[in-house]
Amino acid sequence: MGQVVKIEKAVMDKAAGMAPGGAANDSTISAPPAVKPRRKLAWTPARIGVYGFLIVAALFFLLPLYVMLVTSVKPMEEIRLGTLFALPVHATLEPWLQAWQSACTGLECDGIRGGFWNSVAIVVPSTVLSIAIGAVNGYALSFWRPRGAGLLFAILMMGAFIPVQVMVYPLVRVLAAVNLFSSLPGIVLIHTIFGMPVMTLLFRNYYAALPMELFKAARIDGGGFWRIFLQLMLPMSTPVIVVAVIMQVTGIWNDFLLGLVFAGSEHLPMTVQLNNIINTTTGERLYNVNMAATILTSLVPLALYFISGRWFVRGIASGAVKG
Amino acid sequence: MTKATTLASAVALTLAACGAASAQAPAPLKATVIHWWTSGGESQAVKQFADAYNKAGGLWIDNAIAGADQSRATTINRIVGGNAPTAAQFNTSKQFRDFVEQVLLNNVDDVAAAGKWDQIMPPSILAAIKINGHFYAAPVDIHMPAWFFYSKAAYKKAGITNEPQTWDEFLAQLAKLKAAGVVPLAFGGQVWQEKITFDAIFAMVGGADLYLKVYRDRDQKAVMSPAFKQVLVDFKKLKAFVDAGSPGRNWNDATAMVVSGKAGVQIMGDWAKGEFSSAKQVAGKDFGCFPGFGPKAPYIVAGDAFVFPKTTDANAVKAQKLLATVVTSPAAQVAFNSRKGAIPIRGDVDESTLDICAKQGLAIIKDKSRQLPNSEMLATPDTTGALQDVLTSYWNKNQSPEDAQKAFARALKDQ
Amino acid sequence: MAKKRQSVSFAAYVAMIPMALTVLLAYLGTMLWTARVSVSSSRTFPASDFVGASQYIRLFNNERWLLSLQNVAVYGVLFIAACLVIGFLLAVFIDQKVMAEGALRTIFLYPYAMSFVATGLIWQWILNPELGIQEVLHKMGFAGATFDWIVDQDMAIYTIVIATVWQASGLVMALMLSGLRGVDEELWKAARIDGIPRWRVYVSIVLPMLGPSVSTAFVLLFVMVVKVFDAVVAMTQGGPGTASEVPAKFIMDYLFGRANIGLASAASIVLLATVLAIVAPLYYVRNRRAAKGA
Repeated sequence: MGQVVKIEKAVMDKAAGMAPGGAANDSTISAPPAVKPRRKLAWTPARIGVYGFLIVAALFFLLPLYVMLVTSVKPMEEIRLGTLFALPVHATLEPWLQAWQSACTGLECDGIRGGFWNSVAIVVPSTVLSIAIGAVNGYALSFWRPRGAGLLFAILMMGAFIPVQVMVYPLVRVLAAVNLFSSLPGIVLIHTIFGMPVMTLLFRNYYAALPMELFKAARIDGGGFWRIFLQLMLPMSTPVIVVAVIMQVTGIWNDFLLGLVFAGSEHLPMTVQLNNIINTTTGERLYNVNMAATILTSLVPLALYFISGRWFVRGIASGAVKG
Repeated sequence: MTKATTLASAVALTLAACGAASAQAPAPLKATVIHWWTSGGESQAVKQFADAYNKAGGLWIDNAIAGADQSRATTINRIVGGNAPTAAQFNTSKQFRDFVEQVLLNNVDDVAAAGKWDQIMPPSILAAIKINGHFYAAPVDIHMPAWFFYSKAAYKKAGITNEPQTWDEFLAQLAKLKAAGVVPLAFGGQVWQEKITFDAIFAMVGGADLYLKVYRDRDQKAVMSPAFKQVLVDFKKLKAFVDAGSPGRNWNDATAMVVSGKAGVQIMGDWAKGEFSSAKQVAGKDFGCFPGFGPKAPYIVAGDAFVFPKTTDANAVKAQKLLATVVTSPAAQVAFNSRKGAIPIRGDVDESTLDICAKQGLAIIKDKSRQLPNSEMLATPDTTGALQDVLTSYWNKNQSPEDAQKAFARALKDQ
Repeated sequence: MAKKRQSVSFAAYVAMIPMALTVLLAYLGTMLWTARVSVSSSRTFPASDFVGASQYIRLFNNERWLLSLQNVAVYGVLFIAACLVIGFLLAVFIDQKVMAEGALRTIFLYPYAMSFVATGLIWQWILNPELGIQEVLHKMGFAGATFDWIVDQDMAIYTIVIATVWQASGLVMALMLSGLRGVDEELWKAARIDGIPRWRVYVSIVLPMLGPSVSTAFVLLFVMVVKVFDAVVAMTQGGPGTASEVPAKFIMDYLFGRANIGLASAASIVLLATVLAIVAPLYYVRNRRAAKGA
């Protein structure tokens, strides 16, 4: 236990600006991610175990994707035979083309491409706004603790448990009253409202883990609310911002109900067309097109996950501490 | 100055000419229509309505939202939010009663009078759309949710040569299919499908009188009668003929079993024909259809209709009336229904483009004594839901028919 | 280490305005409105009458509702435990400087990116005894193998656990990873110098330092549990029968399909009250402990 305390103290000391290896720190910040010189790691049993676990887990995670891909390139005759895992006999990319540009979504048969830019127009401002507000909230709750903020936060978190559909009706009335119903600003506002609990929680917990000494030192140096936030806390928040962006982009990009109700007919997101393709009540279902459409729609969040790797880097959070 | 005057008079003349011209070509009547027809076949059907409406001087603005519940919920939200559509799809049922009560719909009495709806439409449809003497919806099709579709190949394999004329014959045929190694009944274990199957058996085996007494009159004696118990018992007999993978299965997947010959029969609405034609199968050749046992079997009537949210905007009201007129006209009715798989709401149409199952349906519906409104026309959505819960419990668990009977009675009484 | 309340600047209060507005107008407003509707006889539209507790009485006489509460409790415990453990393990193992880390991370995260309407259907097929795994096992020669949970009354809810853990573990992994990556390199060096085995470092030092990430993950998962809906609809539709019914689906059915927003509102209030009853004591204990530690 004594060792644990010693190590913790070493970390705290470092964070408070009394870093021993100053040069080593700086290099960690500026260096690009995985270019750190890797020593050849030995193939110990532990290492084999690690890879074994990861491979088995990867297989479990990939199984549905395999079925989706295989189904998406089979003609319907083969799908009707119900052989899920079999490779296609007559593989075809026709379903993918259909999903993108010619699947019927009502009177129009233009596939899912129509809503793409609408989705972008909704996702970008909503993500930025909800993360910005969440970060400020988390920062204020964590360090400043204004009176009543704790209670507000508690109610906010309770609100996160209310099923979305229950909130739709009253929100329709509220937005209609301020003339924002069926509009782009309206849907952005709605996504900000629904994103607030989780984003605030995310940032609050993240900032709670940062040492108070940082904050105290900055205040002693004369920093005010916004200055400390923008110049000290925000630069240190990269890992949590990455997670926040992942969550918000995924959630808002895949959102269907809120976009359908609040965005208005000119701004309907891609997910409305996706729903129209997948979810017919009494119409015929083309499963290959459905799978292709689902995968196409998810490519944007997927690309984001892959790109975000740059920022899942060790050491950024505990980095530069300028007074 | 002279130039200016010339220019001014030129402009004035042009404007006057434009004015005269536009007076002769009125702006098209815009109509935003919310509906849930989103699959390929349904899209073609809707196109017939849209084309006919546009040709008649309207402009159809399509607001398709898949999922009936979702679509209706969107209609509600738009009405509440002040952005109501011109027309919205509902089922011919009690779904829009609350709207009428809250004075949220325009009526189409003049269109109904001009179109003589009282005379051409089936009584069950009229009962659903005529509330307090006013017409609040324009019905567009008649669906029959209890058709029996069968795979000709599977029937051949089991040595069955005719369509069953009685319930017992049907059970015997199912047994033959089982013996031949085919899944006798292609079934999707979802609550609404279980209800459709039950209602089919109820109508055929229990008879139209019992059916109406229970659903329309909520007669507790009828529910607790031995006749109703027999209906429940017969319904459960089907369990022996469905496969183990049936719970949760989509209806399309069940139809696929019939298409591929893996299963023999499916009890499903006439919309199932869409899956058959998507698989390039032809009615009468690859698959057969019959609407019940024997020549007097009841024909359950369901359908879709457009309602018209309240508005005082003159152009919107004109659009609503135009839409109601167009969608109930004979030509549009045939064009729509031949692609939808349903039958037109009026009998005075050219049948030649309808498939043989639809032709059969149209002939049957001319016999008023065989028409039976579906339970959604007789009970509120809440009651229908409660009955679905009772049935799904009975179907999936080892509940005795007596207990199910009691639960059924309770559900009917509460609402 | 408690944080003393800082002298709060005016700017902090101003910065709280968006949150205050949202809470008051959107969340608190909705809760009050829902409570009001739950004591009325509202059907498709809100009614202004007052029927006392009759909706609540009807609610608690409804077998489906009681079963849904039971189901969500069982589901919740399993789902949260599985996601936390799997997410943590995935994060730890990925953190071991493995090859193809980017690809692995995307593999574990992609389920989160996909709409459950489609992936839920895939799971339904995979778990269906005649199409999926059981059939494959039979074809491979294991004639007696059974894996038909999804059509079994008692086991259906566990299939929902499997599919939703598949979807959410990746997010937990990402949360833990961002927390892990916040652990200083110096810490590892110091631990190695002192000769502490790696696993011990994880258990005694890293896990406690991951406290905030675990706490965030727990709350997120808890919210997902209470709101679980898409998975149930896509996979089992609440079935077989009503075996995998969950509260959110019950509420949705009555809100839309059955046109009874009075009953749906009563159910929502009960759900919210249950969550409050579970969360409030934990919150209170946590606050007391934090205050004591000052």
